[in-house]
Amino acid sequence: MSGSLAAAGIILLAVLGTPLFIIMSLAALVAFTFSGVEVSAVAQEFYRISSAPTLMTIPLFTFAGYLMAESKSPQRLLKLAETGLGWLPGGISIVALVVCAFFTAFTGASGVTIIALGGLIYPILMKDGYSEKYSLGMVTASGSLGLLFPPSLPIILYGLVAKVDIDKLFKAGLVPGLVIMIILSAWAVYNSPKGETNKFKKFSMGAFLQALREAWLEALLPVAVLVGIYGGFVTVTEAAAFTALYVFVIEVFIYKDLSLTKDVPKVIVDSMSLVGGILLILCCALGFTNFLVDEDVPLKIFALMKEFLHDKYSFLLFLNIFLLIVGCLMDIFSAIVVVVPLIIPIANDFGVDPIHLAMIFLANLEIGYLTPPVGINLFISSFRFNRPITELYRASVPFLILLIIALAIITYFPILSLFWFQ
Amino acid sequence: MFKVVKKIDKGVELFTTWLLVASVLSMLFLSSFSIVARWFHYNVTWIDPFVRHVVFLSAFLGGVIATGQGTHIGIDIIGKFVESKGWHAVKNLITKCIFIASMAVLVWLFKASVDFTRVEMEFSKIEFWGIPSGYLVMLIPIGLTLLFLRFFLVFLLSFEEKIEVNKESAV
Repeated sequence: MSGSLAAAGIILLAVLGTPLFIIMSLAALVAFTFSGVEVSAVAQEFYRISSAPTLMTIPLFTFAGYLMAESKSPQRLLKLAETGLGWLPGGISIVALVVCAFFTAFTGASGVTIIALGGLIYPILMKDGYSEKYSLGMVTASGSLGLLFPPSLPIILYGLVAKVDIDKLFKAGLVPGLVIMIILSAWAVYNSPKGETNKFKKFSMGAFLQALREAWLEALLPVAVLVGIYGGFVTVTEAAAFTALYVFVIEVFIYKDLSLTKDVPKVIVDSMSLVGGILLILCCALGFTNFLVDEDVPLKIFALMKEFLHDKYSFLLFLNIFLLIVGCLMDIFSAIVVVVPLIIPIANDFGVDPIHLAMIFLANLEIGYLTPPVGINLFISSFRFNRPITELYRASVPFLILLIIALAIITYFPILSLFWFQ
Repeated sequence: MFKVVKKIDKGVELFTTWLLVASVLSMLFLSSFSIVARWFHYNVTWIDPFVRHVVFLSAFLGGVIATGQGTHIGIDIIGKFVESKGWHAVKNLITKCIFIASMAVLVWLFKASVDFTRVEMEFSKIEFWGIPSGYLVMLIPIGLTLLFLRFFLVFLLSFEEKIEVNKESAV
């Protein structure tokens, strides 16, 4: 009885908006107290995070992403992509997708992409003749695009929580990420302006080379990270350190976009408030989720599910619906920390590969960013473009449908995620 | 009274900010240096555990900043609903309840971390620079104290906003 009351109290505090790290700590403290375990075990779990070798990738990659977002890097990359791809039908919109995916991969879909790039892309799309509804929907959707590309923060966090090799997750995300990009690019082409404004721009080698000269130091970065990690030259941790140092040097000393004394401290504070929030949740959740696993909670859920779901495919369908609901209610970082430890053993029993599961999970949560009522991208766009939230709901619907189609492909064609490892 | 609270809050913010700047820059340069050193077969063994503890400390410091900015990650379904309806008084009450609950949990966590530190002090192992792990574990109670302090200060300052709103409506 007292256990149920405590659980109800904790759930109430959670839905009221209490910081998740407080909720996870409280759940762990209460659970340990009820089961007669010393509460100092919660602090012990806290400290365990400091021994994770890949821990430092989270602050370093996030710092690099925030540095780029704060500099003039978005403008330079947008110009490069525009001169390179702008001549295609729907080219400007595809450019926006590519550049947003690049930024989200580095900033971890924290809303920075919409803030940093939305204001640049939205007027360009409108000027090019795209409808307002499409432009708003596209900018909103692209705020979480690129989550499946390395070195995205949610992938690193997933790897840490699920104890899956982060190198493998980075590799596995490439094709599913491309599937999403291709589907949205096709939609961009379909929506490209018709009539007078539909004149194809000519490709200008001169303009492209000029843009490349300006942005090559930044454009090189994703290639360098991928080649570095998969060429076996550096580990993920080393790649994070070098990426952060490289971005720091080019933005502060070469491009001189950021001042060492004024801008860098601000970027550090902004990026670390996100990192601090995530790491605190991770520290606090470890105790509680380990308690649940020790108490065989996933096994009990699995036994219950077995009564209704008889094979892997029905489980995957159920999982997608469940994760879409989770995505509507929780942000991606909380969902990874809270839900992943519980679903891994269940998915394993249904024969779902842990790497494939990671891709399904992250693709679902990517959609969650866009799903009403509390999809965070909707709120950020509403704030950024000063539009009522209901307008954003309407603008995002086509993108939601397309992303769900991409999700179905990623879910039911595991080969897309796993062919690297076979 | 609120002036003093504001000053203390500003002091905590400033202290945290500079400690955070020092932490991030040290993790950036030390981890890069360690990698380059390894290429030349020179292994600086203390850098890795040191940087990991700096990241651990940064988690608390980042949390302190997030508390001040009100940007902690939370589920917040009811809070958002209440806000969208414009029920400011209810939203205010919810915010205060959240602060009180958060501070209570932080006190409980602090107790747990002190217990753990005591145990760790007894069975310490050397991590780096000859520092026993018991001392490094102290980062937890110290970090929690900083977090509690920030929650408390922001909680106090939330009353000032209400007084100002009341004054404005009286005018």
